[in-house]
Amino acid sequence: MSSLLKISVSAIFLFFSLTASAGDLYRPSAGAGEAGTGYVCIMKKGFWSSFQNQASLADNGSLSFGFNYENRFGISELGTRTAGITIPAGKSSIGAVYSHFGYAGFKRDMTGLACGLRLSDKINAGVQVDYFMEKTPGEDYNNQSVTFETGLILMPAENTRIGIHIFNPVPNSIRKSYLPSTLRIGVGTDLNKLLFAGVEAEMSSGSNLTIRTGFEYEAAKNFWLRGGFSTENSSFSFGLGYIVKTVRIDLGFRTHEQLGVTSSVSLIFNIP
Amino acid sequence: MLKYILILFFLSLSFRSSGQESKLSEAVVSIAEELAADDSDPEAASTYIERLYELSEDKVKLNSSGEEELSRLFFLSDFQVKALADYVHSSGRINSVFELANIPGFDKETAGMMIPFITLDNKTTMNSDSAHWRNTSVTNLTCKPGNDDSSSSGSPWKILTKYKFTSGSFSGGMTAEKDPGEKFISGNTALPDFFSASLEYNGSGIVRRIIVGDYSARFGQGTNINTGIRSALSLTSPGYMSASNEVKPYTSADENNFFRGAAAEFSIKNLSVSLFYSKNRVDATLGSSSGSSNNYIENFYTTGLHNTRALEMKKDVVSELAYGTNLSYNFNNLRIGMTWSENRFSLPVNRSENNAEKLFDFEGDRNSLFSLYYNSLIKRILFFGEYSAGRNNKHAIVQGVSLRPSDRLTINFLIRNYDAGYSSFHGKGPGNSSSGNEHGILGNFSFEAAKHLFLSAGCDISSFPWLKYSCNSPSWGRKQEVRLKYLPVPELTIDAAFNYRLSIADDPEANGIPGQKRLITKSLKGSVKYSINDDLILGTRIDYKYAEPSGSRGMLMQQEVNYHFRQIPLTLWIRYCLFSTDDWDSRIYSYENDLLYSFSIPSLSGAGSRSYIMAKWEVNDIAEMRIKYGITTIIRGANLSENNDEIKVQFRIMF
Repeated sequence: MSSLLKISVSAIFLFFSLTASAGDLYRPSAGAGEAGTGYVCIMKKGFWSSFQNQASLADNGSLSFGFNYENRFGISELGTRTAGITIPAGKSSIGAVYSHFGYAGFKRDMTGLACGLRLSDKINAGVQVDYFMEKTPGEDYNNQSVTFETGLILMPAENTRIGIHIFNPVPNSIRKSYLPSTLRIGVGTDLNKLLFAGVEAEMSSGSNLTIRTGFEYEAAKNFWLRGGFSTENSSFSFGLGYIVKTVRIDLGFRTHEQLGVTSSVSLIFNIP
Repeated sequence: MLKYILILFFLSLSFRSSGQESKLSEAVVSIAEELAADDSDPEAASTYIERLYELSEDKVKLNSSGEEELSRLFFLSDFQVKALADYVHSSGRINSVFELANIPGFDKETAGMMIPFITLDNKTTMNSDSAHWRNTSVTNLTCKPGNDDSSSSGSPWKILTKYKFTSGSFSGGMTAEKDPGEKFISGNTALPDFFSASLEYNGSGIVRRIIVGDYSARFGQGTNINTGIRSALSLTSPGYMSASNEVKPYTSADENNFFRGAAAEFSIKNLSVSLFYSKNRVDATLGSSSGSSNNYIENFYTTGLHNTRALEMKKDVVSELAYGTNLSYNFNNLRIGMTWSENRFSLPVNRSENNAEKLFDFEGDRNSLFSLYYNSLIKRILFFGEYSAGRNNKHAIVQGVSLRPSDRLTINFLIRNYDAGYSSFHGKGPGNSSSGNEHGILGNFSFEAAKHLFLSAGCDISSFPWLKYSCNSPSWGRKQEVRLKYLPVPELTIDAAFNYRLSIADDPEANGIPGQKRLITKSLKGSVKYSINDDLILGTRIDYKYAEPSGSRGMLMQQEVNYHFRQIPLTLWIRYCLFSTDDWDSRIYSYENDLLYSFSIPSLSGAGSRSYIMAKWEVNDIAEMRIKYGITTIIRGANLSENNDEIKVQFRIMF
């Protein structure tokens, strides 16, 4: 492959991964349920949400594991495969997540080990250590980096949750890294027993502010409908979820102004 | 050798003295932010913060019921001061700060704002307990490691040290400062680059106050004399800030705007008389006529920075003599007063003949001003105004009215008119300018729209009949702001504001005679503060700014955590902030917690992050130490960034 072609392919993949990701391109697009609400999830309880804000891990009361597949714009080379597991341990829970994006020529892998802890009735805190590896066409070596992310869940009222999450907050002057820093803040509330709504703001270093809003509605027992909107690329989202015994199945779809639809599916197994 | 002895002396003051912990709440910074938000001069925030710190150390005695004492809460309106005094008078005393929110004209927000600065103890300063010596010392050391400029004559450290003592009716203090790059000892005298000291006597008889040394003063609306805070309305302030007359020891580190000499205040029944005399040296750029050895002043140099040989040459080159008097008389609901002041310089000021912008600037070596002012409260309407005239027959007029139709609504109007050529060297009246050439009108209201929900809005329109900096033709400007504040529970404050600014400037891209262009900025700001418990406070802020005609956008998102450890005497402030602006036009200012008597308002432009961590360690009952480390990272390209960091250390002791 000529140098020019390698550079072009790299640029296209970087562009796609940047424009179609839920904000920070290094955060794995995990969870079809979360995709359905437009990734308004850092304050929300849930298996995948726990890897978006590790403070939520403390709310996971059972052993669970799950798989997720996201297909961006129907292009298999832009697929993301993710697997995760959470293990409860008293007032805390631990979790592990692995994500793979791309194909043989261009890939990005992430492995994370997380812990969430209930500090009080109103506060959860969590932290995750991440290892990133990125391979781009034409490069003989892989970009690697280790960093961490941390989050808080605040519960000022019974039906309201505030999520705060910071990814890679270490300034570049202290530790050189190609990873961006990201700050996410969101608030969500159960408007009634069936309807959840939330809003979230996110900003990454070098990027513009993104505002997202989304909802989840329990239309029937164990059946959810979801929707959302993000100011990034004016993206709309929708999805649905269903629980069969101990298995949860979610589907999520996100639109892009020019590039089409990104679809995702996830399976979560709960072991009581 | 002498300078090292002096340095050791100033530093040793900090370590020797001891004191009790002053409860300084987060309110200090939030109030300063609110008050200074509308002032384009960032130094204003410094002045506000300093006044608030002073107030927190010398709390207002609420139950004294004296309006003079209560008006020291300078952020309250005259309405509120009077309502507070009436309440204390009728009820006997205030037993709990929770009563404040129920006083007409007050709400929970205002009451919360006051708490750090008030005491319910009504002992006077003349009691036997306070006859003991009380000493306070603060020393700040600041360094930006990467900014070591080899052309500077001194070290890169900024050093500020303050000392104050009180004993009965007497008090005194001194301030010494050196800026980064300056020599600590400079000039012909063996003193720090900036050194200020004063001795004060406070009496309760005819002689109310005598100050020898450095002092600041403010009379009336400040168009004639005001070396302190600009007394005015901000766009969305709930009322007219109290503008009581004041002569006080100078404790700031602004190196030029103060008096040095003596001042006295006398009071006979309802009549107050103030006299002041000052002989000070000020910085200036000098010029000389061709073929003549006679010097003249080209302009005054006011930054106070003397870190190069060229800037050292500007230091203290002009002698300024200032003197004057103020008389005021209080009727039942009316206060009237007059101020006369005169300035004389050792060299004349010559304006540039080739610069049309300076056509009306002051010229000569003598300036005198005469002012008349009044302040009248009739039921729920407050009228206030001031007229000032200079020797050159140029005038300044300020007229305002503040209405309070109900306890939930306040409406204010203020008109100002400063002639081009009106010059006041120590004045600072309402508005944007203290040097004339400005007409303006401001109107605002503040309304408690529902329980816990406060709405305020304001508009300020100003015109500049003559040329001004970067505007070679008459121009105008407009400022508007709408603010919504919601306090559903005591632990939560939600604030949202929309701000609009319009100004006119030269269009450099036009050919021939410069055209004009409108510079417009629109900004939207939202912030939430949440106290989870007594030890943990979280703050979130999101800003969006849009600038025309460039079309540039700026965004900011920040999270702040303030945590007080129970087991150890340590308090932490941590902020993480990300910003992205297209250019300088869409820059965003972000206020930060800082050391006492210090302030930090970085202007953030480009794309990057700003983080800081500050720790306060209460060593024991008598000493406190603060350390702050801040870092700004600007992304310059792929894998390329520029970092600027700073470290600040403070020792504070009271005994």
